[in-house]
Amino acid sequence: MKDRYEKIGTTAVLLIPLLFVFRGGYLQEVTGYVYLFLIQGYAAWFLFFRSGQPFFGYSVTMALGAYGTIVLTEICKWPLFASMFISSVAAAVVALIMFLSTSRAKGFYVSMASFLLAILFPNLIDALQDITGGRSGLYFSGISDIIGYKTLYIAIISLTAVATGFFFWIMGTKTGKILTLISENDQLTQAVGINTYKYKVLAYIITGFISGFGGTLYVNYTGFISSVDIEVFTTLYIFFIPLIGGSRVFYGPILGALFVILVPELLVPVERYFRIFFGLIFLLVIVLLPEGLAPNIQKLLGKINLKHA
Amino acid sequence: MILNGIITGLIIGGILSLPVLGVAVIYGITGIPNFAIGVIGVFGGFLTWYFLSFNMGIAVLVGVAVCFVVGYVLQRILLTPISERGGDSTLFFIITISVGFVFEGLIRAIFPRPNISLALPRIGTIDIAGVTVEGFKIIALIFAIGTLIVIRLAEEHTEVGKSWQATSQNLKLAKFLGINTNQVFSIASGIGCALACIGAIFWGALYNLQLSSGWELGFLGFIIAVVGGIGNIWGGIISALIIGMVMSFSGYLLGGMWQSVILYFIVILVLIISPKGILGSERSL
Repeated sequence: MKDRYEKIGTTAVLLIPLLFVFRGGYLQEVTGYVYLFLIQGYAAWFLFFRSGQPFFGYSVTMALGAYGTIVLTEICKWPLFASMFISSVAAAVVALIMFLSTSRAKGFYVSMASFLLAILFPNLIDALQDITGGRSGLYFSGISDIIGYKTLYIAIISLTAVATGFFFWIMGTKTGKILTLISENDQLTQAVGINTYKYKVLAYIITGFISGFGGTLYVNYTGFISSVDIEVFTTLYIFFIPLIGGSRVFYGPILGALFVILVPELLVPVERYFRIFFGLIFLLVIVLLPEGLAPNIQKLLGKINLKHA
Repeated sequence: MILNGIITGLIIGGILSLPVLGVAVIYGITGIPNFAIGVIGVFGGFLTWYFLSFNMGIAVLVGVAVCFVVGYVLQRILLTPISERGGDSTLFFIITISVGFVFEGLIRAIFPRPNISLALPRIGTIDIAGVTVEGFKIIALIFAIGTLIVIRLAEEHTEVGKSWQATSQNLKLAKFLGINTNQVFSIASGIGCALACIGAIFWGALYNLQLSSGWELGFLGFIIAVVGGIGNIWGGIISALIIGMVMSFSGYLLGGMWQSVILYFIVILVLIISPKGILGSERSL
């Protein structure tokens, strides 16, 4: 029951930034950006932290969605929404191929293979610069030309809430419970007669599709993408979102996304020392708060409540 | 062209084998994948560059010594305590990446230039079957092979080396025998970072060092070690030479843009086909 309230509460909190549409400006712009990464963060939360699958290719699936949308729309002249859908499917297919091809390997080797894919992909984009624009990137007016920037912002907030709600829903189903079992003890899950392979395939397809779809939203919202945007560090930032926020609670990735996106914003005045502070803050959080921010904030609030009572 | 490609490949592979050796030593003994090793090594390379105007020997010594101390302290105060608390490979991956961020930031904050070339003395050229090669490159290759032999011999024939072997093979038994395993881990980490620094110095003298070089060297070092069989020193060296060849020939045939693409593609294929690397891992990840 507690889980149910937490899921509903988290999804409702996710919709609060819809109010920023009245204010507009910087707040709205940054919130949209945070949400674009939040989708990716929840994809990592679902696949890595809740399903136990060691995948680090989030920047690749996101990039496939983004570049696929531009190439199919601008070069192949496909309708925009069809391009977005097919690009998301392509991202799911790549995630699945990554799983199938590394299924013989174990644990960290799978992580390494997908992490290498995240290093390879921006290099591939650079090498194909005649099509992709390489580091100079590609501009894309996309959906904002059709529905306007404010409507696009509302769509991003709503779709992030829908995607998150979907992840919460699936974790509550039999499939989600089996994925949790797999993450806790894969061999034991197999031993009780469950076909874990089938569930892992499903987890990769879902994650790939939603991450790719997040990429299609990214390029529509920012209007630009280059190989710099999808460097290997992007995948690390995405992975940091549930890790820093706290993967055991449903709202952890929200805190993580705020942290990962807003800390660099706060460090702009000390740009020269940015990486030092950024690395130190991450180290401190990981070492001192291994469960992430959310459970510790929960404990702190509990203590404050007790004092007042 | 083929001979030129082979020689360039051997030299790139030889230089890359130093950070690979660093990764292999650290992982082989501590069991911890340290992704910050390249950035720490490049930090040492920048320090060497800074002190070069005083004296070359002192400059190299300062860079290598600082990297050794950084590796030693990092292992002592951060990585070993977390390992004792049951940290897994993924946690170490994230922690060492964060450490790498700190050292990349230090390079940016301390040094006035983000792109340097180390002006070490050149010793003319050598002609090998009609191909002219810089003498310095040959020295880099000989040094890399020499370092490997010294480490291998030290491991087999010295007390310290034997305590390394014991610690990597059976930690509990090593502790029971009275070996100070924390000290062994810290020294291994220090040596690994010092080796990465020497690799970075050679790289900086032959090509150049940038802010991003640390990540490139570190990731390359790690993936080469994985391809060779992580923790397996000989596998790492063979892998470094093969990867050096791949980089050299793909650069010649397809241009620099495709070099990394071909390299990472082959490495991913190796991981898919033979997840434990060419010669097999001496530890499991």
